Amino acid sequence: MGIGEIIIISAVKILVIVGLLLLMVSYLTYFERKISAWAQNRIGPNRVGWKGLLQPFADVFKLLLKEDIVPERANKMIHTIAPIIALFVAFSTFAVIPFGPDVHLFGYDIQLVVADVNIGILFVLALTSLGVYSLTLAGWSSGSKYSLLGGIRSSAQMISYEISMGFSVGGVLLLAESLRPIAIVDSQAGWMWNAVVQPIGFITFTVAAFAETSRLPFDLPEAEPELVGGFHTEYSSMKFAGFFLAEYANMIIASALIVTLYLGGWQIPYIELLELPSWLLVILQIGAFIFKLFALLFFFIWVRWSIPRFRYDQLMNLGWKVMFPLSLINIIWVALLIMIFGL
Amino acid sequence: MPTIIIDEQEVEFQPGETIIQAARHHGIEIPHFCWHPELSVPGNCRICLVEVDKMPKLVIACSTIASEGMVVHTKSEKTIDAQNAVMEFILINHPLDCPICDEAGECKLQDYAYNYSVGESRFIEEKNRKQKHVELGPRVMFDGERCISCSRCIRFCDEIAKKPELTFVQRGDRVTITTYPGQPMVNPYSMNTIDICPVGALTNIDFRFKARVWDMSSTKSICTGCSRGCNIDIWVRNNEILRLTPRYNEQVNSYWMCDDGRLNTFKYVNADDRVDSPQIRGEGQLRKVEWEEAFDETVSRIKSFSKDEIAFVGSAHATCEDNYIFAKFARSVIGCGNIDFVQHIDPEFGDDILRVNDVAPNAMGAKLTGVSPSKSGLDIDGIKKAIREGKVKALYILEDDIITEDPQFENIITKLDLLVVHSTNHNKTTALADIIFPASAYAEKNGTFVNINKIVQRIRPAITTVDTDRALDGMEMSRLDKFGTEFDRWATGVKVDAKASWKILVSLSGLFDHKMKFNMAEEVFADMAKNIDAFKGLNYDDVGDSGVKLNYQFIEQKVKA
Amino acid sequence: MEKKAAKIRKKDLTFLQKIYIPEIMKGLALTFRNMIRPKFTFEYPEEKFIPSGSYRGRPVLVEEKNGEERCVACGLCSRVCPALAIDVQAAETEREKERYPEKFEIDMLRCIFCGFCEEVCPEEAIVMSKDYELAFSSREEAIYGKDKLLVPVDQLQDRIDFLRQYK
Ligand code: SF4
Ligand code: SF4
Ligand code: SF4
Ligand code: SF4
Repeated sequence: MGIGEIIIISAVKILVIVGLLLLMVSYLTYFERKISAWAQNRIGPNRVGWKGLLQPFADVFKLLLKEDIVPERANKMIHTIAPIIALFVAFSTFAVIPFGPDVHLFGYDIQLVVADVNIGILFVLALTSLGVYSLTLAGWSSGSKYSLLGGIRSSAQMISYEISMGFSVGGVLLLAESLRPIAIVDSQAGWMWNAVVQPIGFITFTVAAFAETSRLPFDLPEAEPELVGGFHTEYSSMKFAGFFLAEYANMIIASALIVTLYLGGWQIPYIELLELPSWLLVILQIGAFIFKLFALLFFFIWVRWSIPRFRYDQLMNLGWKVMFPLSLINIIWVALLIMIFGL
Repeated sequence: MPTIIIDEQEVEFQPGETIIQAARHHGIEIPHFCWHPELSVPGNCRICLVEVDKMPKLVIACSTIASEGMVVHTKSEKTIDAQNAVMEFILINHPLDCPICDEAGECKLQDYAYNYSVGESRFIEEKNRKQKHVELGPRVMFDGERCISCSRCIRFCDEIAKKPELTFVQRGDRVTITTYPGQPMVNPYSMNTIDICPVGALTNIDFRFKARVWDMSSTKSICTGCSRGCNIDIWVRNNEILRLTPRYNEQVNSYWMCDDGRLNTFKYVNADDRVDSPQIRGEGQLRKVEWEEAFDETVSRIKSFSKDEIAFVGSAHATCEDNYIFAKFARSVIGCGNIDFVQHIDPEFGDDILRVNDVAPNAMGAKLTGVSPSKSGLDIDGIKKAIREGKVKALYILEDDIITEDPQFENIITKLDLLVVHSTNHNKTTALADIIFPASAYAEKNGTFVNINKIVQRIRPAITTVDTDRALDGMEMSRLDKFGTEFDRWATGVKVDAKASWKILVSLSGLFDHKMKFNMAEEVFADMAKNIDAFKGLNYDDVGDSGVKLNYQFIEQKVKA
Repeated sequence: MEKKAAKIRKKDLTFLQKIYIPEIMKGLALTFRNMIRPKFTFEYPEEKFIPSGSYRGRPVLVEEKNGEERCVACGLCSRVCPALAIDVQAAETEREKERYPEKFEIDMLRCIFCGFCEEVCPEEAIVMSKDYELAFSSREEAIYGKDKLLVPVDQLQDRIDFLRQYK
């Protein structure tokens, strides 16, 4: 393969993924509203298009048509950059997530991942930490007390949970002996899903993922009742939409990561025993990835509409006194497994 | 003094007093419909029955003379039973008219039904029907069904108005009130029967259905119809005066007032022809201007005359405060002694009950506060003559329509170079004026009047102008005034942009070198009390609700400059 | 006997409650059950809720079969109205009741639908209707005069029956 082909293939993959991601994000907002409605015994959006299916587009139009308000005391440049950082981080993380096995298409072997990076997992962790900047900067640059408080909360919260997240990933890496996402997926063949092998790690990682994406019950940076929207209080129009999109994109990434690290990625256990034709297998496996992803997304939304927000001190307690020790225990547990069973 | 015991309380009484009087003087209320402190005692309603020890039956408190050692029970079981029985009896034929009855809210029958009745009737037959719309006279409407035959109205006409115009006819449950055939009730005090009627049988044709009692605020004031100065309440809703009622004042008007005062002294306050901003005549046309502009114009034009070319006409319609400042303005600010006022005499008006021939409320006050010529100054006839001769070229008139009062002025006023008028309404005098200042009417300001018997009495603001505010100025407030907001439709009633005359004059004085410093009518009165012997030592609190008799020999008062 | 007030403190949580996860599960189960429950939302402009007689919609004046209002402008509703919504001006008529409302206005922006006016009315002349569709585009429009308030008596029969039974 020449360098030109690599670039073209990568570009196509990027376009497809970004396109899909945007579509998913907009429909995620639709599902969020639908599921919340169901949970509250309502119907949810049902006016725009059949069953309200065009609602996300209506929302986009609405946001586009809104006036873009920048507070007088804001730092104009940073105020503008913050949502861009948020979006950039959200979309670029997806580059290293594999969503299917290798396929043979138009005479090329194509990996179903934009960039198969050796240190993919590190890349993810690094980028998600970068994400904090967008919130903190947004909060600081708005020139509003509420926003500032929201920004500070977000940085404190993310730093706290990054640690248990990192240690939980440690367990996965021990087993996979690699930082490559594809290798990690491969290491979970059969029923050796990490969620089964190291359930504590699974739980701590999931909880940390909730915190990293600032979703309820850990949405303290926004906390509408107390902070009136927190870091995005002073945002409107498309800049607000930027944060909004980033939040949902982050949710997708978090779910994709959980799928990759703990739920066997695109694998369907023991499907090779059926000896299906390879094209069907690929499609089924991509389907499996998407199914797992959606199940997790549903879980994210479901949790949001069931569990109330933590108080700030409770959040910190949980992070440092419960999640952090648990993730350490998980590492020891995995180490013991490896020692005893030589996995 | 002899004593009786009422409800275990020892009460002193004057020999000859009845039980109800003795009780009343000590604040013990015995219910009564037909009894009225100023009328004779018929003893026909029976609600005042009380139990008296050693008397075989209950007695009526209104006609039983108190005697030493009597023991009266107004709350004993027997008394209460009797009251309840009388109420049940009176209500047998009384219609369920409260929702449409003007008396509701100030009705004795209603109040007593709450206080002295269990509210149950054993009477299941049809109630009596009687005539409901009978105009007893041009001002009083009678409703036969509501009448409880107490005869107060009849006795009033006989005893107070001295015109026996009403009588009972028929008997038993068909009894009703009527006038003599072809002779409607027209006596000048007829409307007092409306006030003393304990129920809504007699209603005020002028006020009928205009408002419910509880929707209005009532403000203590003085009638401006003549110089008797009857005490009144001004009833206001939505910043509009709806009726006047007499207020008890033993030394002035007792419980009464005349129909003329009641009907004809308030309508101009809400009339359409109120002067509602300062106006200046330019090129023959009056045009509305801002206060500042009117002040400047007045001052610059007055300054163009020498002080002998100016004359001042005070007013028997304005308050003492207005006249006092007016005189001060003329003498101290302008330095002019040509000042007097016009008397309003109607030889037809007076009678020997309340009405007097001087039909302006404050002629005494005007004289007392210095509205009379200085030694070398001109009196009103002198002013007239001087204008005719062209010696006086500018005239300043305070709240008086002198042309209507004295048509001679009509021709000579045209000779003036400048006519400044304070006026509440447009009238013949303002029609010729060069500068008009809108003056607050008597219902819009604080002040005092001195009546024909030298009693100084207070008026209080009952309706608001642009210059005043109910809440801030401590005025009486109805429920809507209290709880409505200024955006509500009932609060958007017309507010006239007028000021009390003394305020206008104080502002003007500031533009001359001689600034007066008064912010409230009370301060003006205090200044009067300092400088005028007749008012020595008085203040508004002393004057209070019922006035103070001034103690002075009438000599011309001079204001100390 | 003296009873101690029951106090709910953190300490009273059981161990299972403290580890939180079962409680989360319960919460999730609850919302999930709701998701699959049948919905009974009215899809408003197409489907309309038709209330029973006990419903308190906007207050209206009863119009008799002969086209006259029952109201005698006694002003009691206006007096009792806690929101100062009602403004009545009485006037005289030739009719038997001699008094009628020359002006009767309810400020629908002020009305709180408490029904006191209906309760106090001695003539059963003002009742709460079933009408809940109130929309205006200005403050002036929200002041309903007699033209909007008068409703024929047969349209209010439900409410009147309800009142006769329970008031
Ligand atoms: S009209 Fe009134 S005052 Fe006269 S008798 Fe009847 S109730 Fe008494
Ligand atoms: S007698 Fe005079 S002061 Fe009294 S009510 Fe009549 S007009 Fe007024
Ligand atoms: S309470 Fe009834 S009768 Fe009285 S004004 Fe109100 S609606 Fe009319
Ligand atoms: S329902 Fe209540 S608030 Fe509304 S008009 Fe009647 S009394 Fe006033």
